[in-house]
Amino acid sequence: MTTALETPPTGTLRDALVARLTALADDELLLGHRDSEWTSHGPLLEEDIAISNLAQDEIGHAVLWYEVRARLDGSDPDDLAFHRDPEGFRSCLLVEMPRGDWAFTMLRQFLFDCYEAEALPRLARSPYPPLAEAAAKAHREELFHLRHAGLWVRRLGLGTEESRSRALAALGVLWPEVGGLLAPLPTDADLVAAGYLPDWEALPGAVVARARAALGAADLDPGRDPVVPAVNARDRVSPQRAELLATLQSVARADPEAVVW
Amino acid sequence: MRWEVFKQDAPGKPHQAVGSVHGADPEHALLNARHVFGRRPAAVSVWVVPADRVLARTAEELAAEGPPRAAGGDAGQARRFHVFRKSSHRRSMTFVDHVGDVDAVSHEAALAAAIAADGPEPALAWWVVAADDVTRSDPEDAPSWFEPARDKTYKQQSAYGTVTPRRERGAAP
Amino acid sequence: MTQAAASVDEGDPRLRRFEARIAAGEKIEPGDWMPDEYRRQLIRMISQHAHSEVVGMLPEGAWITRAPSLRRKLVLIAKVQDEAGHGQYLYHAAETLGADRDELEQALLTGRAKYSSVFNYPTLTWADVGMIGWLVDGAAIKNQLMLAQCSYGPYSRAMVRICSEETFHHKQGKEMVIAYAQGTPAQRRMAQDALDRWWWPAVMMLGPHDSDSPNTPLLVRWGIKTKTNDQVRQEFIDEHAPELMEAGLRIPDPDLRYDEETGHWVHGPIDWDEFWRVVKGDGPCNVERLAARNKAHAEGAWVRAALEAYAARRPEAVEA
Repeated sequence: MTTALETPPTGTLRDALVARLTALADDELLLGHRDSEWTSHGPLLEEDIAISNLAQDEIGHAVLWYEVRARLDGSDPDDLAFHRDPEGFRSCLLVEMPRGDWAFTMLRQFLFDCYEAEALPRLARSPYPPLAEAAAKAHREELFHLRHAGLWVRRLGLGTEESRSRALAALGVLWPEVGGLLAPLPTDADLVAAGYLPDWEALPGAVVARARAALGAADLDPGRDPVVPAVNARDRVSPQRAELLATLQSVARADPEAVVW
Repeated sequence: MRWEVFKQDAPGKPHQAVGSVHGADPEHALLNARHVFGRRPAAVSVWVVPADRVLARTAEELAAEGPPRAAGGDAGQARRFHVFRKSSHRRSMTFVDHVGDVDAVSHEAALAAAIAADGPEPALAWWVVAADDVTRSDPEDAPSWFEPARDKTYKQQSAYGTVTPRRERGAAP
Repeated sequence: MTQAAASVDEGDPRLRRFEARIAAGEKIEPGDWMPDEYRRQLIRMISQHAHSEVVGMLPEGAWITRAPSLRRKLVLIAKVQDEAGHGQYLYHAAETLGADRDELEQALLTGRAKYSSVFNYPTLTWADVGMIGWLVDGAAIKNQLMLAQCSYGPYSRAMVRICSEETFHHKQGKEMVIAYAQGTPAQRRMAQDALDRWWWPAVMMLGPHDSDSPNTPLLVRWGIKTKTNDQVRQEFIDEHAPELMEAGLRIPDPDLRYDEETGHWVHGPIDWDEFWRVVKGDGPCNVERLAARNKAHAEGAWVRAALEAYAARRPEAVEA
């Protein structure tokens, strides 16, 4: 049993933790943002309400991670979200992609939920208390997310010919990008070595296995395992990231003097 | 399909009729009920029942037509029924409350038994639902399904206090 | 006599008993006897109210992706979600009267059903979101508090639930506009511009003058409305005018003045030509709003079909 790390990390370890937290937060913010694009455009009134819950949950997780980072380096979450240039973001392409059709959004949410279901319990065992507490809080919602995601995977895969073909088309685009989500940042190795991220190397395999099992139960075969690169620096500005952030930041950036929104 | 939704606010309190949701099947309806009625506190449990599986009678209907009779009469195996009752005209956001369970051979027999066992205060409306027709959230899921809503204070009016403009010096009244 | 009043059978003894129940403060519940006209008027009112909530998601929903702070983003998603939820509670209330939700939705999508004209105006800036929260939701609350006392149980209950959620909409809108009115020069201009465009639509939202409102007498008689449009409008202006001015904003009504004798704010003439034009479908965004709803409905058809197909094949209960 590892003892809690009482003093906050300094130097390169601190920078590594800041990077990891930024990646966690940016993924949640961008995913929540894409989910929120469905509001008032959902296929059923109840689904509009549902996707709005998921969007709030994911953005709420982003706030949790930005706040843990703020305790380390004094950064401001709103400043990070609304005034950081796209080059400074550490999101992965999976969450940056546009919302697509309902199959695309539900399957992306499902894949991200598989990832959170494996990442959060591991982070909740981190000996660095702020990280562990935030992970435990986010993990509470995960059980419901998995239930909801599972419902949609089954109805897409086992519904109509059209829902099946849309689901397979979505997986064709999403599944390869799971690798980018799962690949470690260049500095994650330092955190793993120092004990901050328990069992982190097992994460990619666990996520892929979990996802494949649920998809298989819905008669959906995503194909070969996604290639997980040795590292993903996440510093490339995809056109999708640029487009998303241009919208997200447009009002805030239009009045840089504004202090209170 | 339409499903009536019942929500329990806290352990020990009765399930109350809060409205209905549309859903294609029991699981879909149950999750929709959580999405619609569990997005703010307080809740620990939701039940859904197909709307056409509810036997509903108001006091006026019972007075006019007498107690309803089941098509099959007294025949059949006894099953469990949940009985719900409206007791007051007071303004509320919920309709009928779960007041107890009855074992009976039909909805109608269950209602008759509930009326017979009822106290002196007149019921304003009754609903009877077969326990087998109910799809329920798992109490063990409450920490995930319902608890996180408590922390979302940004959408709770109590978190806002009184909002008033500050008077700027020199501004016209 | 109005057409509505003409279709009431005044000789029916059941009508006397029905009206006595309402006078005694009893709620009419599904299954109770009610005049056909009561049912008809309620379905009309409730479905228009439901459609207004659903269409009302669009003008503010358009700004979710541009909300300029994390908190505002969460708040706006929750607010627009509430509007969907309110539509949901109201469709339920209409369904208790025998209406079919699919039919009601079709009436909206094909332009046959009315909804509040206030949502046919565009939201041009971020400050519009705050102004809608303060004024439009402020007006809605006045109306909803009144309707919470309504004689029909399901409508009353939907209103009580909606009121409990709408207060947060009003407060967050007010909080936003006050902050901008006292913020940077650009924010102050944005807040004033929003007020210039939303004041009159909010005032008109409370409905035509009593003299031009043919349904009102019957609705008052049967406890569906307990106040007239003009009464609610007066309450709205009395509350909001002084607060807007206290925030440092100028109300776009040169005739607006406080009457010491009555203790009320007197407002200038309302342009009812514009109101009727917008109600009849000639507003700036009518076409856009319905097109968006039709698109969502059409694009969702395959999803709804998949749900039905799955349900037909696998009618099991819980799936954990």
